[in-house]
Amino acid sequence: MPDSVLTVTGLRKFFTVKRGFPRVRTVTVRALDGISFHVRDGEAFGLVGESGCGKSTAGRAGLRLVEPDGGEIVFKGENVVTASKARMRELRRKLQIIFQDPYASLNPRRRIGKALIEPMRVHGVAGQAECEERARALLAEVGLPDNAMLRFPHEFSGGQRQRIGIARALTLEPELLVADEPVSALDVSIQAQILLLLQRLQERRKLAFIFISHDLGVVRYFCQRMAVMYLGRIVETGPIPAIFQEPLHPYTKMLRDASPVPDPRYKVVTLRIEGEVPSAVNPPSGCHFHPRCPHVMPVCRDVYPEWRQVDGERGVACHLHNR
Amino acid sequence: MSAAGPSQGANHAPSGGVGAHSSATAGAPILTVENLVTEFRTGGGWHPAVRNVSFAVQHNETLAIVGESGCGKSVTALSIMGLLPPANGRIAGGHIGFAELDLVTLDEEEMRRIRGDRISMIFQEPMTSLNPVLTVGFQVAEALRYHRDMGRREADAAALELLDQVKIPSARARFADYPHQFSGGMRQRVMIAMALACRPELLLADEPTTALDVTIQAEVLALLAELKTAYGMAMIFITHNLGVVASIADRVAAMYAGEIVETAPVDDLFAHPTHPYTELLLRSIPRVDRDMGGLTTIAGQVPAISAMPWGCRFAPRCPFREPVCTSRDPVLVPLPDAPDHQVRCWLRAPPAEGGHA
Repeated sequence: MPDSVLTVTGLRKFFTVKRGFPRVRTVTVRALDGISFHVRDGEAFGLVGESGCGKSTAGRAGLRLVEPDGGEIVFKGENVVTASKARMRELRRKLQIIFQDPYASLNPRRRIGKALIEPMRVHGVAGQAECEERARALLAEVGLPDNAMLRFPHEFSGGQRQRIGIARALTLEPELLVADEPVSALDVSIQAQILLLLQRLQERRKLAFIFISHDLGVVRYFCQRMAVMYLGRIVETGPIPAIFQEPLHPYTKMLRDASPVPDPRYKVVTLRIEGEVPSAVNPPSGCHFHPRCPHVMPVCRDVYPEWRQVDGERGVACHLHNR
Repeated sequence: MSAAGPSQGANHAPSGGVGAHSSATAGAPILTVENLVTEFRTGGGWHPAVRNVSFAVQHNETLAIVGESGCGKSVTALSIMGLLPPANGRIAGGHIGFAELDLVTLDEEEMRRIRGDRISMIFQEPMTSLNPVLTVGFQVAEALRYHRDMGRREADAAALELLDQVKIPSARARFADYPHQFSGGMRQRVMIAMALACRPELLLADEPTTALDVTIQAEVLALLAELKTAYGMAMIFITHNLGVVASIADRVAAMYAGEIVETAPVDDLFAHPTHPYTELLLRSIPRVDRDMGGLTTIAGQVPAISAMPWGCRFAPRCPFREPVCTSRDPVLVPLPDAPDHQVRCWLRAPPAEGGHA
């Protein structure tokens, strides 16, 4: 895909964990079971799904913050998975990440100024004086006062810390930002502030985003396309808002319909109780979603549905659409 | 300080428009909170985290208290339960009328007899409220043994029935399982079973679905609504999520910086949000059901409890602010055309004839 800044093909990541007592056994968690997607220039691409679906692992593996077990990641024509250590370091300048809880990723004993300047010094972007200058400009860009340079992380509120996290991710002028639940820990009024900030940055800097979230409303607002993940696989991709208006996969529809809407006229539909939700440790046979699917057919229990591209822009893995 | 007084009458009024559930049981409210002031000690002084909060809840009614972190919604619930940290929290004024009692005047022994029996509470993270080394069956039965003097066998049978009622699949087989063997959604069901064991008249639910995935959240909300109707109990549902409020509440109280800024029947509140805070908050939520042209933002942040502004506490962030807002405390006033709908704002709900209590 020529206009893609990042193309991921067949990405796999299995974790082994030890479980059980008193007899310990090793189990494999298929966190990413061969996922493929691409992010276009300047586009915000949403990855959505519920806890344990692998969306955070996908974001991290995309930057090789966790080493993938298989598959290919191509950033502007270059394979990231096979890049050498030295080359990876240069690529990292272009690929940055912001986290849900910036407090956990800021050194509590380090002043904000230093936290912003350090990456620029490490990558030899400029001299100390110029780095300081740039750090100040970044703080202004994310809406923080100049004197933040000399303060410590604990002196800031949650929203301000997220601004610091964003400023730090921007220090090396990346082209792709992975945003892992960047507004999930924030209050509604602060969430809106940060979303608008990210949107301004996206426009001004022509940034591409992989935007990971469990909140479909936020993804609908911020992203242009999205992929829905379920137990380590992508089950549907498509442009927004089409994927919301007419979801093809029953899971996408279930997620959409379960998302609460601030309007009492649209009460959330009551779902049938299903007991324990399966996990990626032991995904169900066939289509992983079949035990929860209202349209389950015999074939769904045995065969994982093939990926099917629907009119170029949209794709789905579901036997309902395989006729 | 008596500002909230006049509004109380309207809360008591037989609330015809409360929604689908009022009808038969609407009479004397089960819980009446009047001018509640709860203070916390920070930096050597006592500061109110909840100021002059008044509301009432009827049998078979769900009141949602909604607001952002630090608005006092959880502190209100802890005040009702008598679970404030004794070293640095205290109720500094007001009454909490529950049936025939004033909970503020009860001692710990008397409160303990009510807690888990006539009033129960469920919390956001069930794992922190469940004992990891006791089976779920034992824990659900515990309240029955303690409050109802049931024997082991009788309590276990009742507990099993409760686990069935909260729809834990194959409850009998899972009776002797431990909390870690359950998923988050199932643990929250266990918590609900524990809370409902003694058929409380009032259930306080503090963000019970916030830690859950949306599909599981939808299930738990449906379960709570169903059980509330089945038991005819009153429920106070505390949340920051206006979407959840819309799907579960009969009536809503929106809190900001320790005060109720707006209260109304749920349909009315979402159709005509009147306080600038409520209105702006509703427009700052990205919605899953429609494209938003642009999000509204509320500038600034919630003030610290030790540095509350004069007059209206929302004034420093309010785009409609006028001089009166920063000089005098606004009063919670019923709207002229909807007495059930009360708003604390000088501009949107000016008190009739100027002079007000």
